[in-house]
Amino acid sequence: MTDTTTVRRRTALLEVQDVAVHFGGVKAVDGITLEMRPGQIYGVLGPNGSGKSTLLGAMTRLTPLTRGRFVLDGKDYTRRPARTVHHMGIARTFQTVRLLEDRSVRDNILLGQDTLPKQQRKEAGARVEEVMERVGVREVAQLRPDELSYGMQRRVEFARAIIGRPRLLLLDEPTAGMNSAERAEIGVLMKQLLEEGITQFIVEHDVQMMVDTCDYLFAMNFGKLIAQGTPQEVVRHPDVQEAYLGKGAGRDA
Amino acid sequence: MQDLLNAATLGSIYLLFALGMALVWGTIGILNFAHGATFMFSAFIGHMVSKETELPFLGVIGISVLVGAVISSLTQLLAFQPILKRSKSQHAAEMRILIGGIGVAAIPLALAQRETRSSPFGFNSSYKSEVFEVLGLRLTTTSAIIIVAGLAIGVGLTVWLRRSRQGLALRAIGVDAETSAGMGVNRPLLAFTTMAVAGGLAGLAGALLTFHLGAIAPETGDQLVIKAFAIIVLGGLGSMLGTVIGAYVLAGAETFVLVMNWGTWVDAVSFGLIFLILLARPQGLLGRKEVRRT
Amino acid sequence: MSDWYYMNVVLIQTTLTTLLLALSIQVPLRFGVFSFAGVGAFGVGGYGAAMAMVHLEWSTWPAVLAGTLAAGAAVFVLGLVVQQLSGLYMGMATIAFTLIVSVVAVNGGDATGGAGGLYGALGEITMTHIVLVVLAVVALLQWTEMKGLGRRIDTVREDPELANALGINIAGYRQMSFLVSGLIGGLAGALTTLLRSTITPAEVNFHLVIVALTAIVVGGSRSWIGALIGAVIFVWLPTVLSFVEEWEKVAYGFIVAAAAIYLPTGVLGVAKDSWHRFRTREERARVAAALQETS
Repeated sequence: MTDTTTVRRRTALLEVQDVAVHFGGVKAVDGITLEMRPGQIYGVLGPNGSGKSTLLGAMTRLTPLTRGRFVLDGKDYTRRPARTVHHMGIARTFQTVRLLEDRSVRDNILLGQDTLPKQQRKEAGARVEEVMERVGVREVAQLRPDELSYGMQRRVEFARAIIGRPRLLLLDEPTAGMNSAERAEIGVLMKQLLEEGITQFIVEHDVQMMVDTCDYLFAMNFGKLIAQGTPQEVVRHPDVQEAYLGKGAGRDA
Repeated sequence: MQDLLNAATLGSIYLLFALGMALVWGTIGILNFAHGATFMFSAFIGHMVSKETELPFLGVIGISVLVGAVISSLTQLLAFQPILKRSKSQHAAEMRILIGGIGVAAIPLALAQRETRSSPFGFNSSYKSEVFEVLGLRLTTTSAIIIVAGLAIGVGLTVWLRRSRQGLALRAIGVDAETSAGMGVNRPLLAFTTMAVAGGLAGLAGALLTFHLGAIAPETGDQLVIKAFAIIVLGGLGSMLGTVIGAYVLAGAETFVLVMNWGTWVDAVSFGLIFLILLARPQGLLGRKEVRRT
Repeated sequence: MSDWYYMNVVLIQTTLTTLLLALSIQVPLRFGVFSFAGVGAFGVGGYGAAMAMVHLEWSTWPAVLAGTLAAGAAVFVLGLVVQQLSGLYMGMATIAFTLIVSVVAVNGGDATGGAGGLYGALGEITMTHIVLVVLAVVALLQWTEMKGLGRRIDTVREDPELANALGINIAGYRQMSFLVSGLIGGLAGALTTLLRSTITPAEVNFHLVIVALTAIVVGGSRSWIGALIGAVIFVWLPTVLSFVEEWEKVAYGFIVAAAAIYLPTGVLGVAKDSWHRFRTREERARVAAALQETS
């Protein structure tokens, strides 16, 4: 038993230790501890305002921490500035589309590798056609974001995040505003990326999509972790049901 | 003591000018660079009309206030409103509004410079300023009117913004434009009215300064814009009371520099103040806590 | 051709020095920094070069270099001081810096020649020199507009938070923009002064800010090509508009206001958009067809 736990500790990709983010009196994230191992797709469920996106913001150091620690592959990066997180192999997408309006799809994707060390940049730059092909934007490579549908814009963001082959990919509601066919495509893409060794962490409302895609789920409410485990376990957890459906709703249904 | 009185007169002029700018900037978020040109052109039209026929004091004031309000509303309608409609973000709009204001300001300035060949102009009025003594201090009637008008309007506007329904709506826009629009505040109409009021104040300040000095040059307005900016930043954006205090502090500091015979440094006072305040206390003396930093 | 050149040599020189001045304002704008310190740098560079020639009896190019470096250093330090300010506040603080430069010049006594300005600083600068200097500056800026660096600069301007998440050192980029702005503005001031042999405090005024700003806004604020278009328009418009000469300044006002309303990306922006639409007409048609199919 002791042996397996030490091994498990050593192989953790990201450790989140007692992390809290308070805005004035509002405790958006209030003491979260969790661990992610490489080669899995993790998801965070939770109603609006439960602190999911804030936790993701804190992981990338864009949102200032009140307390806690982040350890990536044994290295504590809690005190390092946000801009160094990208170099460490953590890439993210945002809740809303954030693309450069005056730049082509290809330029927007290339932006994802612009700040990497020279060798990595060369490799990533050579991959741009392949990446565009995979997310399905190669046909529109010369167009600007505002000439694309919303779903296509999200794919461009996705491509920007993966072109540098991050070790950990943080996705903030990646399928928001997409139709069901598009959602399915993104799900397939995520599985493919996993096979290439990209660990993923998704924040999402859509319970069905999370159950279909994720290997392991966390559930949050009021800034605290209320449940974790396999998707089936978490969805059936009484606290999760209550958070989603309201008090007593489980019984009435 | 005489110097204090001079500072009070100067401060009241600054105040009347800066109030309009502060009102517009602090509520509807427009930094109107053409405010100085509005100020100057209102007095200029007063000058042109009074050249035709001698006017009483209130006649000149009336014309200037009206012209100021008209120029300011036209600026809003023809320049700022279209810019706001075409801008994707408030941030993008800010810069275009500043540049648009600079462009608008160049038009009346060029017209007045052409007509007067860039020399100062005054009014042909039946009103003649008289000098009287109070407690051994020499005071002109114009100075007295300026001080009273400055204080009355400054305090009046502060109270009106705090107490009245329209004032509340305006302050709401200044804090959060989107939410207040959702609460039923008619932004374009309110913006239009605010700009008209600000223009009227600029016209009043223009006429009073011209009466006070006898004549003003077409370029006077541009310098006042920078000084008013210093005043607003000093007092804190969004606070009318701050603007009142800022105006008198700047006037006091400038008068002090003049009294000390450092006359050529007088313009550096306002610019230096801008610097100091922005670095030491960016929200100004009485500004909202929300600090505008990146 | 050569007749035309000799008749217009002063206008060509003015176009090039105006271009440099406009670039000194445009560089920070491209980084999302609303700074007018380039005009103050123009004053520092002009006075620096003139003082080096008149008081220290330096020759032309050391004097230009001295003025340029002094301006670069001054604006870089200013940048460190005001880097926390945003938007209009930054704009007004840098305008204040510019105006303080002219007040200091007025009060500089013999060193700056007071309100009358400094005379007798005639440098040996030929058209070839100016063209070479401008080419060097433009080459540097072209490099900053291309490939990865160009993309990163655009991101710093359009979305600082995204830039941060992508690993871009925003503060470093912005400090660099102040330095470059100061150097280019100083160069513009030094060249202009040594060409005319004189500089006065009255020249470093708000009008100069307006000239630089309008050139950029009308031409286009995203590329040096826009600044060039703007500089050409504003220097040569008076000669074309001479039939309405007395209304010239009124026309300027209208043009600037109209550009701010209808041409936010300037002449260059409109040209680029049209080119983009022409080049991608097939791709866009395909996207539209695909959309129609699904709906």
